Amino acid sequence: MTAAVETGKTTTIHGDRVSLLRVLGPAHVWALGVGIVLVGEFTGWNFSADKGGALAALIVCWIVGLLYTSVAMIDSEVTSTVAAAGGQYAQAKHIVGPLMAFNVALFLVFAYTMLEVSDAILLGDTIVAKAGVEGLTHNSFIAATIVVLAWLNYRGVLMTLNVNFVITAIAYVSIVILFFSVSPWTQGAVLKLNELVTPGNALPYGWIGVIAAFQFGIWYYLGIEGTTQAAEEVRSPARSLPYGTMAGMITLLIAAAMTWYVCASMMPWEYLGITYYPLWDAGKLSGSPLLEELLFVATLLSALASANGCINDAARAWFSLGRDRYLPSWFSAVHPKYRTPYRSILFLLPIALAFAFIADLNQAITFSILSGVLQYTFMSINIMMFRKKWPLGTIRRGYTHPFHPLPAIVLFCLCVVTFFAIFLGFGSQLIAMTIFYFLISLWFHFYRYKFVRRGDQFTMPWPKPQGY
Amino acid sequence: MPRYTPPEQSKVGQIFDIAVVVVAIFVALWLPLKLGLAGAAKSIDALDTKTWDSLGQNATMASIWEKLGYTPETAHDVIRNHFHYIIDWPTLIIMAVVLIGYFVFLFRASDREYREVINEKFEDK
Amino acid sequence: MWMGLSYVCWGISAVLALWMLYDWFKVDTTYSEETLTSSREGELEAVSETHRI
Repeated sequence: MTAAVETGKTTTIHGDRVSLLRVLGPAHVWALGVGIVLVGEFTGWNFSADKGGALAALIVCWIVGLLYTSVAMIDSEVTSTVAAAGGQYAQAKHIVGPLMAFNVALFLVFAYTMLEVSDAILLGDTIVAKAGVEGLTHNSFIAATIVVLAWLNYRGVLMTLNVNFVITAIAYVSIVILFFSVSPWTQGAVLKLNELVTPGNALPYGWIGVIAAFQFGIWYYLGIEGTTQAAEEVRSPARSLPYGTMAGMITLLIAAAMTWYVCASMMPWEYLGITYYPLWDAGKLSGSPLLEELLFVATLLSALASANGCINDAARAWFSLGRDRYLPSWFSAVHPKYRTPYRSILFLLPIALAFAFIADLNQAITFSILSGVLQYTFMSINIMMFRKKWPLGTIRRGYTHPFHPLPAIVLFCLCVVTFFAIFLGFGSQLIAMTIFYFLISLWFHFYRYKFVRRGDQFTMPWPKPQGY
Repeated sequence: MPRYTPPEQSKVGQIFDIAVVVVAIFVALWLPLKLGLAGAAKSIDALDTKTWDSLGQNATMASIWEKLGYTPETAHDVIRNHFHYIIDWPTLIIMAVVLIGYFVFLFRASDREYREVINEKFEDK
Repeated sequence: MWMGLSYVCWGISAVLALWMLYDWFKVDTTYSEETLTSSREGELEAVSETHRI
């Protein structure tokens, strides 16, 4: 690869090669990260109240916030250095090895596709609940969500993420509006926290409930690490990715705190733990029809933004697998006009549709969380190996995270706790999934890997890793 | 070290591999649903007297329940539906062994493949 | 109204799905497989890194 490299604003053509388009800025990275996650405030996080009570939901909001701050810091360092589509997949490939990379890509595809499925189900159910019409099912809305967003992704990444930016911003602003319109500075008028969360019911199951709540506490932030998938389409990844990811994390911590405060002050925890629309319900209970409508629309928009980002990310991960021949190279095709991994987008579409029709919301969320936690476990070990193989100063890093190895240790410990939390609710499912990953790893290691070119996988212009 | 040249995969082989992956995904995600493994143990601890008071709801809570369209009778099944967190040691141990075994295999096999990659990449130069 | 919306959703899904299938077919028959799968990881990084390190 020598001449013929244009790095203009709109074109990135290597000779006669077709590659993804480098058009995104930090705002798009923010929109991708927060867009995927924000739906968690509109549904999902509140199941942690079911698992351990309202106070448990707040405790995990903070502790899991710490977990994700570690994830964001670690991810920013590695990905500002390994900037390639596939994100954590490309990281694993350069730092741990091909089999790990294959698994990480599967974690990503599963986590995002199942999240997309959850979003579509949520959107369909919300509309059905709003309509209240006999005989209306959610299927048509699910189909429209998945197909329209796939089409948007197919037509180009810039438009996709511009749309995501707008709808995510509206959904976010609606949380802020809700927060300020229930007079958060006075208790007793609309908010009645001290009457709803009492010493007697704050932790109905005790501390084991808090641990169990970790499982859905993940949902406050799951997906923020997806910002790395855009690495190959961001104009200056070394700067934009850390910036967009960190800004996204701060945005989410604020949103999570506001959401908890408003919801826990407006509904008894038993109800909060089972509702599918905590924020919409808060809008209803506020007594203002305007707020109710606003939060209804915001719930839909957040689900759309999330599904949109998930299609983007899952397709990038799948595309990268094809490009390295971990899967048939057929998937690595880039659309010559729209510059998107169009075959991967199309391939994942019917899979998402099928699961959206057969699974229910809880199950889809659990599948997504399981794959997410497996991936975070990998990330904590990955950063240790990264610092050992290429100590600071040996390669150019776009961002260096502070307090190493503390974030990695914190992340690892919290992952172990979360595995235990999953065991309390979905232990057999976790075993089933791990066995699946194990079997498919055997398939890859002993059969599929023979089609992979060895040295070509390592694409970064780095020196030889230490210890090899 | 000679460069490793992978065999070209035929079209049929590619399609077959895609099929394997798709079937594996469906089995992994669908089987737990079919076998009824999904879902945590939650059961209703029924009460005989169904009033807001006996359900442990104060006046504020009761008013919100009513605003949401519940009566003590309908709210009973929601409020008294409890988790029963029991640590089932055999399952916990199986889970731990499966997880640790999986990660150990992953890192060891990856390392073997990684050494090959590094050798080929850096000996070429 | 909601029922109508539901049918509209089916309609839109069908139209867009068909359009994507059509475009996919068109692209795959117009361009060679080699061009389509010519994207390589890390190319741009390789260039920008050598400039900045």
